[in-house]
Amino acid sequence: MAATGEREDPAFPVGAACRIDSRSPWRQIAEIPVGLDPEGIAVDVKRRRAFVACSRSDFVSVVDLETHGVVREIATGNEPIDIGLDEQTGRVFTADAHSDQVTIIDSAMLEVETTLPVGGYPSGLTHVPEFRRLYVGNSLGSTMSVIDLDTLETIATVDAEPGAGAIGVDPTRRLVICVNFVASSANFYDADSFEEVGRLEFVSPGTCAIGIVPERGEAFIVNSIAGTVSRIDLDAIEVKEEIRTGSAPVGLTMHPSHDRVYVTNRGAGSVSVLGVADGAEWSQIPVGGGPGGVVVDPHDGRILVANAGSQTMSIVEDLLAARPPAPVVEEPNPWIGSKLPTFALEDYWSGEQRTNRDWAEKKYILNFFASW
Amino acid sequence: MRVREEARSGLEVVLVDIWEGTEPRPEVERFCEMWGIKGPILLDPGLELAGALGVRGVPTNVVVDSDGTIRAFGAARLEELEQAIDELYGRS
Repeated sequence: MAATGEREDPAFPVGAACRIDSRSPWRQIAEIPVGLDPEGIAVDVKRRRAFVACSRSDFVSVVDLETHGVVREIATGNEPIDIGLDEQTGRVFTADAHSDQVTIIDSAMLEVETTLPVGGYPSGLTHVPEFRRLYVGNSLGSTMSVIDLDTLETIATVDAEPGAGAIGVDPTRRLVICVNFVASSANFYDADSFEEVGRLEFVSPGTCAIGIVPERGEAFIVNSIAGTVSRIDLDAIEVKEEIRTGSAPVGLTMHPSHDRVYVTNRGAGSVSVLGVADGAEWSQIPVGGGPGGVVVDPHDGRILVANAGSQTMSIVEDLLAARPPAPVVEEPNPWIGSKLPTFALEDYWSGEQRTNRDWAEKKYILNFFASW
Repeated sequence: MRVREEARSGLEVVLVDIWEGTEPRPEVERFCEMWGIKGPILLDPGLELAGALGVRGVPTNVVVDSDGTIRAFGAARLEELEQAIDELYGRS
């Protein structure tokens, strides 16, 4: 696992770059069990609740952010992946991938208000209060649905590309950006006319999350296979830089100050903290297993992470006030050089138990995976 | 990745399924159909091996030498895995 170096440095005493005097640049607050395969989180700041989309449970877990307990499970359509909350109406929206719909939940009553049909396999959504719009990326439909947040009418269905999912919006430039996981591309649209004004194609497949910094004219797009985040110039519509993250990044959110980006590393069980100005990895914060969706709670700045593997929601604090003096250091895994533990596991094909002995005197790779 | 690495290096790639949360067989079946996977797959629903190794994410690759020694751990990026295999065969 990677970690920020914590050695004593007389020129930069530990704690000087932190919000509290701590040897660690992060703090674990809680890890709360939720439903199966949690993928997205939205925060109700007023009521101090988090809504966690649990895609394999087909429900949203509602977590009290003061007591850290689950207070309700609200049934949705099949496979809710992404989620958002509109503070003005108090509505929570889930993208229910296997139902081709958006479920709308009343966050006060904690009940489903209605559902809306969208395109095939919606897997990402973004709401923009300034525009009073909800944007939904439909992966199999290769489209983007545009919905009025108040009337819940579908205003437009815009052609995108295979794997359409994450959507980012720059209100300043009135740009809507749809990120396409399968096509490994991003489409740039005029927010008013929905005309495509630009397109980017990425070298590596698996583009899957986006964050916007309007004041810098930049977007950050995650490349999960390459293990990088692309810095995009929104005026030129071109990639300016590739920033290395932890292993298999999938989720991204901006810190409210826009000085850093939080990226969840599904392959590492961590959150990378990337500096917006310097493009450096400031730290990696350990979270639960197989993390995906990530948000910052505006109330206290804590980071909430949906861990698909461990079926939990992590609450952690990033204690860095600025870039630390020591860069992130990749530490070798302590298992390297040790013998693989003995195991006896069921073979999926034959149903028989297989052990280390089946691969004795062979070189081989164990590839740990999950079907989601 | 599996086909490419097996063809390139002759190494057998053994998939280990974890973290399904439910009965893994139907999920693995769908996964294999979708990706055309035919090689060895082990089921580790109780995290017997993954837990012992402290696996924290997916994908995680563990490169094992012929005497059972772990030579690389993690290596999710293709270039990292290729480097680990080259080192395993003393090519780097």
